[in-house]
Amino acid sequence: MTQYIIRHLIHSVIIVWGCATLVFFLMRAIPGDPIIQMLGPEYTPEAADALRHKLGLDEPVWIQYFKWMGDALRGDFGSSITGAESVGGAIASGLPKTMSIALLAFLIATAIAVPAGILAALKRNSPADFVVSIIAFLGVSMPSFWFGIILILVFAVNLGWLPSLGYKSFSSDGPVEWFRHLLLPSLAIGAGYSAILMRFVRASLLEAMNSDYIRTARAKGLSERRVVVAHGLRNSLIPVVTVAGIQVALLLSGTVIIETVFAIRGIGRLLIGAIFDKDYPMVQGTILVVAVIFVFANLIVDIIYTLLDPRIKYD
Amino acid sequence: MKHRDAIDWSVLSGPRVSRRTLLQLAVASGATGYAAQLSHAAASESGRQRVARNLQQEAKQGGELRWGFGLGQIPTLDPAQVNLGIVAGELLSNLFSGLVQFDEQLGIIPDLAEDWEVSSDGLDYTFHIRTGLTFHNGDSLTANDFVYTYERTSNPDFASPQANKLALITDISAPDDNTLVMKQSAPYAPFLATTCSRGPGRALAPISKRAVEEMGDEQFGLAPVGCGPFMIVPETVEVGGGFEMVAFEDWYGGRPNLDKVIVQLVAEPSTLVSAMEAGDVDMLDIVPSIGFDRIDALDGVTTVEAAGTNWYGLTMNYAVPPWDNPDARMAVAKAIDFDDMNKKAFFGRAVESVGPLAPAFGWVYQPPEEVDNPQAFNLDEAKALAESAGLDGVKPRLIGTPADQRVTETLRNQLSEIGLDVQIDQMQTNAYVESRTSGDFDMVMLGSVVDADPDDGVWNYFHSTGPSNPQGYNNPEADDLADGQRETGDIEERTQLLRDLQTLVASEAVYKFMYHLPDVTAFYDYVMGYVPIPEQRYLEGLWLDK
Repeated sequence: MTQYIIRHLIHSVIIVWGCATLVFFLMRAIPGDPIIQMLGPEYTPEAADALRHKLGLDEPVWIQYFKWMGDALRGDFGSSITGAESVGGAIASGLPKTMSIALLAFLIATAIAVPAGILAALKRNSPADFVVSIIAFLGVSMPSFWFGIILILVFAVNLGWLPSLGYKSFSSDGPVEWFRHLLLPSLAIGAGYSAILMRFVRASLLEAMNSDYIRTARAKGLSERRVVVAHGLRNSLIPVVTVAGIQVALLLSGTVIIETVFAIRGIGRLLIGAIFDKDYPMVQGTILVVAVIFVFANLIVDIIYTLLDPRIKYD
Repeated sequence: MKHRDAIDWSVLSGPRVSRRTLLQLAVASGATGYAAQLSHAAASESGRQRVARNLQQEAKQGGELRWGFGLGQIPTLDPAQVNLGIVAGELLSNLFSGLVQFDEQLGIIPDLAEDWEVSSDGLDYTFHIRTGLTFHNGDSLTANDFVYTYERTSNPDFASPQANKLALITDISAPDDNTLVMKQSAPYAPFLATTCSRGPGRALAPISKRAVEEMGDEQFGLAPVGCGPFMIVPETVEVGGGFEMVAFEDWYGGRPNLDKVIVQLVAEPSTLVSAMEAGDVDMLDIVPSIGFDRIDALDGVTTVEAAGTNWYGLTMNYAVPPWDNPDARMAVAKAIDFDDMNKKAFFGRAVESVGPLAPAFGWVYQPPEEVDNPQAFNLDEAKALAESAGLDGVKPRLIGTPADQRVTETLRNQLSEIGLDVQIDQMQTNAYVESRTSGDFDMVMLGSVVDADPDDGVWNYFHSTGPSNPQGYNNPEADDLADGQRETGDIEERTQLLRDLQTLVASEAVYKFMYHLPDVTAFYDYVMGYVPIPEQRYLEGLWLDK
């Protein structure tokens, strides 16, 4: 297991380096010159040359690449070229917000999906299954952008229970304010996510419940509750965990839109804004962090497999 | 040049260049004329009445104003690096002071300079700086700080997008702590408004040298040390979130009424509107067109509308046939129906444009009904012109950004009436700006957004060497008019030159001039003391009645 993790970590470094390199060159290949936009109406060729020189963008691309790589290895991601912000600072400020939203969305989704999926599977083809499936269908079809606006209109504008925008820090503003500001954005993402997850729980539990070991468990005289929880559910969780891991990607991409709707500048909005502005260092630094998150999410999924199913061994 | 000798520029001297002076003496700098007759800058009646009424009440001290601001991020607050007019006029103007500032009519009144003199040839400016001024960090502020700021902004290595505003200055000096002398190579009518004013004149917004040296340029951009009525709280600054600013106790004009202003950035217009409806913000910087009706219908909310300083149009690339043919351009101009576009793209909030002279510049602006508009909507004439120019089946590529989508879609529909099959190429801002700058388009929507004088929206766009002339317009007559309006100090002459230029470019269909957007703000009724100055927000007089 330790060996596996070490091997996986080495792979991860290569993957992350590959991502960073690809992004570095892709950003420079797509059309649009950040200098022209930054100067706006004040653009003159002389001003553009001066600014390009100041930002080091007049050097050959490969020199820029090695400089950036060298700095990044030392933990220095540089500064935004369109503003005064340091890339590290922007990520440090955005990451807790995105992770908070994603974490709460994940919890909300799981809290909805697992019981609903079990209910639908155990009461297959019953009215309960039908209702849960319809709700799941709506959940998947509903764009999170639209759902977010509806949540704002209902809970912030009409009922006045929750704030319509912004983020409060857990440490400086307290857990209550933090939670109040997170609830609507997390719900907006979590709803769609829970629908997908619910379908997987249902399908995979149905499959597990038709297996031979379930028949054996019942024949042993175990209670139905124990049959479902200890044998059915546990074995059905492997595909669910796989999907959940991959869906971390969905959560993160979902936050891009939701962060815009709720005026929260997390990693998603930071990245999109930086891509639009062609803020090279900001895009590169953010992608690097996102890549690390993905790789680790996958590693964690692999480790959870072994906990769920002792037959899975990596060594 | 012919205008220069006869004019006595010394009437631009302070301490006040008022509307009355302008009219009586018929002399103006650009910005004093900017609103010399704000006849068309009518604020909405109820809003304006309420504003006037609550200005007479005695202000209460204290309180926090939560201010919703319709931007996704503010990359820097370093005045010399800010290239968005809205950030300069509405945010920097509260963190920094200028030599002069605007009154409600956009006349020029003292700010850090108590008084000033302009030589009769219009080349020498002498400012008398107040005594006892300090920066937010407690350092004293003297004339030398303006010299330092000039040197910093104009340093080529610093690459300030504002450096060109200082290009005419040949010498700047501080003979003593309270005197600042600037010499220019040529007279420039908008100098006070565009270079010396609080907010827009950010090229010369005085910077604390010690703060820059201690913090470095980058950190200074995040938490600038200014001298305006409010000072930034550095630990609250989030580039994409906003910041807080607190009252500056030692501000020369006396402590502002509010304790604190919380600037909350909101990129999505519908979220901004919802935040106002939910009471999560007390005031909006600008009400988005899409939410005007919702905000206007809210109980306990005042909307105040002032004329805009902007214009927007559609231009066609002279380098690409058939758009070098005036008939082809005029066919497009006459085929565009403003009323239809206003309804579909702006929910009825826009004002019809007949040229680049915006409604806020009341002294020179002419409303559509007073102008014989050669581009007036007339589909029959448009069709005839299109036929003679052979436009049927032509597929012009119209470049734009997602923000222009409603307008570009409307244009495509309207122009299909004259046989054009408009191909909309919607790009991200960056690629769009590059395509536009390099002339890689058939059609592009463009215009001048916010500035303190019509000069920027005219010279830059219609002079053959102007920086915003991607369509390649080159007419010596237009060059003369654009240069001439800069070089005269006579408001009547300047007005005539600007109007002649407007007539010329409209009749040649350099652009299809489409619309102006008004400057609309909104706040809850407990927000008192708001003074409407077009495209500026001075917050020191605000107070909360609750």
